[in-house]
Amino acid sequence: VPDELSAPFWQAASEERLVIPRCRTCAVATFPPDVLCSACGCAEGFEFVPHHGAGTVRSWTVMRQSFLPGFEDDVPFVLVDVELTDADGVRLIGRLVHSDQSDLRLGAPAHIAWELLPGDLRAPAFELTERSVS
Amino acid sequence: VSSWDARNKVAVVGYAQSPIQKHAPVTLGVLAAQTARAAIADAGLTPAQVDGFVTSSLFPTAGSHAVEDGVSTVSAEWLASHLGVQPRFAMGFQGMGQLPGSVSLAVNALVAGSADYVVLHRALHNPQGSYHGNSMTRASGFQQWSVPQGFFGPLATIALTHNEYVQRYGASREAMAQVIVEARKNGARIPWSVWHDKPLTAHEYLAAPMINDPICRFDCDMPVDGVAVFVLTRADRARDLPHRPVYVSAISRSQPSRRRLPLHWPLDDIMSVGEDTARRLWSDAGVGPENVQLPQLYDGFSPFIYYWLETLGFCKVGEAHEFVLDGGIDSDTASGLPVLSGGGALGNGRMHGVPQMLECYLQLSGRAGPRQRPGVTVGLACHSSPHLGGAVIYSAEA
Repeated sequence: VPDELSAPFWQAASEERLVIPRCRTCAVATFPPDVLCSACGCAEGFEFVPHHGAGTVRSWTVMRQSFLPGFEDDVPFVLVDVELTDADGVRLIGRLVHSDQSDLRLGAPAHIAWELLPGDLRAPAFELTERSVS
Repeated sequence: VSSWDARNKVAVVGYAQSPIQKHAPVTLGVLAAQTARAAIADAGLTPAQVDGFVTSSLFPTAGSHAVEDGVSTVSAEWLASHLGVQPRFAMGFQGMGQLPGSVSLAVNALVAGSADYVVLHRALHNPQGSYHGNSMTRASGFQQWSVPQGFFGPLATIALTHNEYVQRYGASREAMAQVIVEARKNGARIPWSVWHDKPLTAHEYLAAPMINDPICRFDCDMPVDGVAVFVLTRADRARDLPHRPVYVSAISRSQPSRRRLPLHWPLDDIMSVGEDTARRLWSDAGVGPENVQLPQLYDGFSPFIYYWLETLGFCKVGEAHEFVLDGGIDSDTASGLPVLSGGGALGNGRMHGVPQMLECYLQLSGRAGPRQRPGVTVGLACHSSPHLGGAVIYSAEA
């Protein structure tokens, strides 16, 4: 459920655009956005800036059991932890889509995809960027 | 460099530990009051002499459970009033690392003269039904950032962290099996443990199905009902009491790490904050890892053993899995570090940092009975993850 802090993120997501919050004063990215900037301490708020959606895989796990309603029919699914490039170390977690789990490696390039949720919402997800054959 | 003024000025002087069970036959508050009375008597005191009560009453579930004082949690104020005591000092610790946090409250109260005898308790409850099962269908506030993707629950948290470790350092499940086997071996020897007489073999561990790869159910402690109570006082008063005092020599709590998604714990966050926690711990205690005969590491999730071994400097970063595989934590050998000799959380049930603190107290006071280890004068008790919790150094006179 979006709130005042998060509405711009979810609005952009519904249009399949990734935006990340950067401090209006020091421009450091913080995710999730906060009521104060932890980098400079100001209360000027965050501006949601478009991001190209590329990053690298830092970890992943296979969810074989869910403690939440609505996910029972989805398991097993793979969640990936992706560090966005050019984003001050911000990391997002999303479902792995359109990709083969066996191609997952630490440092593998990935980019944002969008998972359609009920109510026409979209959640961040990731797919592996095509790797050159090594 | 400032030194810690409270070093060795406060001692643990008595304890009681309830049976640890999946579901206790009595309500948690009843168990807490009974255990507190036993601990006060063990210290050679009466309830009327106790003028301080501290605890952390966190009920660590992600599930949809009601929280009720005296039933699913027990606050310091609840316990005092149900022992018929009007304390000068009653306070709860808010935050992670509940045992180091509570010990810190007790030490500060005693050194400041806010109380003379402090009862420190920890009461843990296992509700009926799924511990972490949650019926939410809408995610608001902080959880909106991770729940829509299906990232929820502590097992997913530790799975992401630990897969990062496994992939980076090539750690095997065979190595992790040694952690769980060691915890359950020692827990099986402890009469009050939920796992008493129930050791686990490496084969059973390796055969367990994954829940969140690379984590299976044996990597996580079992929720239980149980209460532990310790009595603390200043060193000058401790000398007049029946048992050998065990002094608090340093307390280090982890300082905030960077803001992340809810329950997202990147390995590098754990290590960098944990290394700072360790630095302050050794500095305040005036000892180093080589001086600790009994490093009781926290194992609510099995991978924490690796992270604590590495952040505290018992082995090099990235090598804990090899250290463990080589028998480095076998408490039955002369060369093994007894990091789980008290059974830990995996070998006792979800008592948070209690098994670590209790093992330090029992061994350093010479009260471990048939499990007594010779010549133990410096112990260490961790709780939680190195980036969230903390650690306490205990010492006794030789």
